[in-house]
Amino acid sequence: MLQIQNISKDMGEFFLDHASLEISKGEYIVIIGPTGAGKTILLETVAGIYEPDGGSIHLDGNDITYAPPKDRNITMVYQDYMLFPHLTIRKNIAFGLRSKKIQVGEINKAVEKYAGMLHIAHLLHRYPDTLSGGEQQRAAIARAMVMNPWALLLDEPLSALDAKTRENLRRELKSLHDITKTTIIHITHNFEEVFDLADRVAIMNEGKIIQVGTPDEIFRKPKNHFVAEFVGATNIFKGTSTAENGIVHISIDNFIVRAHSEVEGNVYISVRPEEILISTEPLASPIRNAFPGKICDIRHCGAMIRLIVDVGVTLVVALTRQGFEEAKLGIGDSVYIAFKATSVHVFPGKSTKE
Amino acid sequence: MKSRVKSPLRVATIAIGVGLALFIVLLLLLIMSHPTLEGMLNSLQSPEIHFAIYLSLLTSFISTGLCILIGVPSAYALARYDFPGKHVVNTILDMPLALPPLVAGVGLLLFFGTTPVGEALAMAGLVFVFTPLGIIVAQFFVNVPFMLRIMRSTFEGISPRYEYVAKTLGCNDTQALWRVTLPMAANGFLAGSVITWAKGIGEFGAALMLAGATRMSTETLPISLFLNMSCGKLDLAISAATILIFMSLLSLYIFERYGGFARL
Repeated sequence: MLQIQNISKDMGEFFLDHASLEISKGEYIVIIGPTGAGKTILLETVAGIYEPDGGSIHLDGNDITYAPPKDRNITMVYQDYMLFPHLTIRKNIAFGLRSKKIQVGEINKAVEKYAGMLHIAHLLHRYPDTLSGGEQQRAAIARAMVMNPWALLLDEPLSALDAKTRENLRRELKSLHDITKTTIIHITHNFEEVFDLADRVAIMNEGKIIQVGTPDEIFRKPKNHFVAEFVGATNIFKGTSTAENGIVHISIDNFIVRAHSEVEGNVYISVRPEEILISTEPLASPIRNAFPGKICDIRHCGAMIRLIVDVGVTLVVALTRQGFEEAKLGIGDSVYIAFKATSVHVFPGKSTKE
Repeated sequence: MKSRVKSPLRVATIAIGVGLALFIVLLLLLIMSHPTLEGMLNSLQSPEIHFAIYLSLLTSFISTGLCILIGVPSAYALARYDFPGKHVVNTILDMPLALPPLVAGVGLLLFFGTTPVGEALAMAGLVFVFTPLGIIVAQFFVNVPFMLRIMRSTFEGISPRYEYVAKTLGCNDTQALWRVTLPMAANGFLAGSVITWAKGIGEFGAALMLAGATRMSTETLPISLFLNMSCGKLDLAISAATILIFMSLLSLYIFERYGGFARL
């Protein structure tokens, strides 16, 4: 059990303000929050890079608040890999074991095991700058995992990668966690990573942990306005998907959405609010997803207007200020909304462990 | 490429830049072609020039070593840590760059010649006034800011996160510096050492003040150039100058080739 209690740290632009979080061994926790919420400082404080101004951190009952990083058995991976450029991939992965003065034979065995698990065994002799981003991140993860850490901290590990690589590596993080049962704390901006990986999600803002819960809880029962705004602006729904001729039909309650995808079973879908059309007349064009509904709220957010539309479930629709004024819409108006099947993003949900 | 629209600005600025480069080449050629080849070879074999080369190399290597010893740790502290008065320290450490070397030399002369510290050192056998030791100290004092600035910018260019990762992988502060940051700073270190060395070879003003210009005693290459020029031994003077030119070309080459992102 990792207990982070009332940790505060002031680094000027970034800070922690009485942040508390408890993490069980083997758990996969994803931390989300806006830029500047203090997510990275939280991880770095847990890793022991900074001493907190106040609060305490306990690992399995031992106070590690002021323990040096090397004595914590917690390793870290950053978004931009931080592989040591003057060392080969083999030496990078072996770096931590060499600090521990472990026999060369044992080190080689461990390095090859994790390089194999992360599919970089053929790259061990190369230098980091000759590898692609995805390969470098695999090496960085292997370098952290080879220490057999109590917890692995991931600071936006997939954000610098292209979409395809990101998806592959996400899948591998998942299987790595399933195989090793290592506790993982993972920072991201990406909601797919939340639904795909997280046992629990922690939402951070202004140096505090605002809410902790399963992804479903966070999205269904946001604790306050901030969480609702932060997670709600994305139209995420849980449903069941069945495929047919390259099109999936996803039923969400009694409401069916069509999308281009091949993912079946329990899924989440998201539709970006700006990709939804809204009109007072039925839309003539043959768009696959069209529903009648009612405007139940209008929120002004800078240059954009967000309409909350009830079509059986509530959707957020974003309009430019100009578009909103031209459409002459008001609360309670009956409207028609529509979005293309290609605007629907489908991703697999983590199998619920309840 | 097709002919571009004539831009007077383009033509004028390029002309100025190229003109300056030509002027520099002209001066260098003038120096090297002044003496006869025979005169040059004779001077190069004279004991005086041999002594000057020897003393220049010796003092510049030692002073570069001192600059590394003092400059690298200071640069690391200034790049990595926050402490009260950091800004002031930073500014003061750059001071010797702007200070005329002659003035620095006067300061050093007063320090070693008139203060109790200087007297105590002299009593202990470390005499800096009018000795080769003085040359080393003068070179060190004038050149340590170059080492410091290059290493500071080098360390600043290396993300502290490399050290953070190293620490989570079992290193303490010093091991992280030794195993990760220093190897990553190797290019900057090389560039800084070469520049410091080249500046040391050429150091004149401060060394003249503190160590004086005594033939065959504190006679480095620049001092030799000065002494021989003053008494009209042009061949010897030009030989010293030519050697200095080759040394600067060599160091400039190494700096440009291996300097990486290190900048003054």
